[in-house]
Amino acid sequence: MEYVSPEGLRLDGRRPTEMRQLRAEVGVVAKADGSASFEMGNTKVIAAVYGPREVQNKGQQMDDQALVRCEYSMANFSTGDRMRKPKGDRRSTEISLVIRQTMEACILTHLMPRSQIDIFVQVLQADGGTRSACINAATLALADAGIPMRDLVTSCSAGYLNNIPLLDLNYVEDSAGGPDVTVGILPKLDKVTLLQMDAKLPIDIFENVMQLAIEGCKAVANYIREILLENTKKLEFCRGV
Amino acid sequence: MGLSLGEKNFIKGGIAQDIRTDGRKRLTYRPVSVETGVIPQASGSARVKMGATDVIASVKAELGKPNASHPDKGRVSIYVDCSPTAEPTFEGRGGEELSIELSTALQRCLLGGKSGAGAGIDLSSLSIVEGKVCWDIYIDGLVVSSDGNLLDALGAAIKAALSNTAIPKVEVAANASSDEQPEVDVSDEEFLQFDTTGIPVIITLTKVGRHYIVDATAEEESQMSSAVSISVNRQGRICGLTKRGGAGLDPSIILDMISVAKHVSEQLIDKLDSEIAAAEACDEEL
Repeated sequence: MEYVSPEGLRLDGRRPTEMRQLRAEVGVVAKADGSASFEMGNTKVIAAVYGPREVQNKGQQMDDQALVRCEYSMANFSTGDRMRKPKGDRRSTEISLVIRQTMEACILTHLMPRSQIDIFVQVLQADGGTRSACINAATLALADAGIPMRDLVTSCSAGYLNNIPLLDLNYVEDSAGGPDVTVGILPKLDKVTLLQMDAKLPIDIFENVMQLAIEGCKAVANYIREILLENTKKLEFCRGV
Repeated sequence: MGLSLGEKNFIKGGIAQDIRTDGRKRLTYRPVSVETGVIPQASGSARVKMGATDVIASVKAELGKPNASHPDKGRVSIYVDCSPTAEPTFEGRGGEELSIELSTALQRCLLGGKSGAGAGIDLSSLSIVEGKVCWDIYIDGLVVSSDGNLLDALGAAIKAALSNTAIPKVEVAANASSDEQPEVDVSDEEFLQFDTTGIPVIITLTKVGRHYIVDATAEEESQMSSAVSISVNRQGRICGLTKRGGAGLDPSIILDMISVAKHVSEQLIDKLDSEIAAAEACDEEL
């Protein structure tokens, strides 16, 4: 199947190195300590952060750092065909783990010993790149909750189809069976904190694809920064400073 | 919910004096906002916000085979999921109990009895070929943020989602043999709208102390002795009723609550209908 037309356009009309439209909003769940919604094209997720708070299960308490927990769940209506049993399958457990590890790497956990931070991500619509969207939403929610972080982690995926590296795969491109490289970076520190790939790819091409994904992450980081700045200005205005 | 004695007394005292902690009267709703078409993949969807309560309902229509006992009727099922984003205790299987409670309450209020008689949704309109093909309607609710009164919000969201629903028009190939599964052609272009005028709204009256209130927040719900959810349609008929909470109620109070619910429902239906119409207009413009 042809994923990039001779004119150099993808199935949804994007250029190979073009990202889907990003949209984010901070403070979507009133009761949470921090929350955000993040959209990449048709993929839409909500993240809510509760904490730092008392550790619920005393056995898990750590005396030198905070406990970070994460749960990823998909809504029944998030996929094209209705799902019946969404809770606790292997895929969501794996993604929860990936998000937890990525976020733990950037939270300054040693500042909040004997406490717990819960990150809940809920997928409302899945159209490829849910992993990345969840990490971006979680970053925004953590920032909204005022949790100290080393940097804003951002994530983006890239693939390689029809001998062309493609940025930010959607569902159709993702299920084409080509490689899918998901990268998470700390943009200011210039460090990679998450790297996943399925399928095989020659090393020199992999370098290009990864570079493309990193560029994507940086674009996301700029956007997230903008949203946070806007939100901060709004808060400042509300306080009447 | 961790409330001090003073806070508890403040909530109760306020309700007794007809001015609640957020300044509302006992029978006033929080502002309701409706957004339709939030899930493009579904046949219909809506998001309803009542104060800090935020729920999404989506409707999906699939072709299925009708039940042998009711060959002339389609099927509607309602599932509710409580997202842990709404409350950390919903993590893992923690929200399951509440999800099931809400799903069954909604089924009772909207779908009528087992036979489908008295349902808010006209099940016979979902039949395509009697005994062979019908529409299976799956209604999925998701609680994104919870601040009390989930049932009313979900009921409103389902009503809004159903008015947003477009069901494809179906052509049945006219091969007459009676025991074969008939071939059906689902149109991509022509859609039918649901008739939502008969769908009831749900009014939950929460009893705190000697009085009862509508649209209770989570704090107020924590002080309740019992709650009665009544679904009322536009004609003022009662379509379903459930009572929750431990304390017993005097039968005369229940009758009184029903008449109050009927009165409140008129305002809520009007408000919802205008919100839904506004949301639909806004949705079409985009």
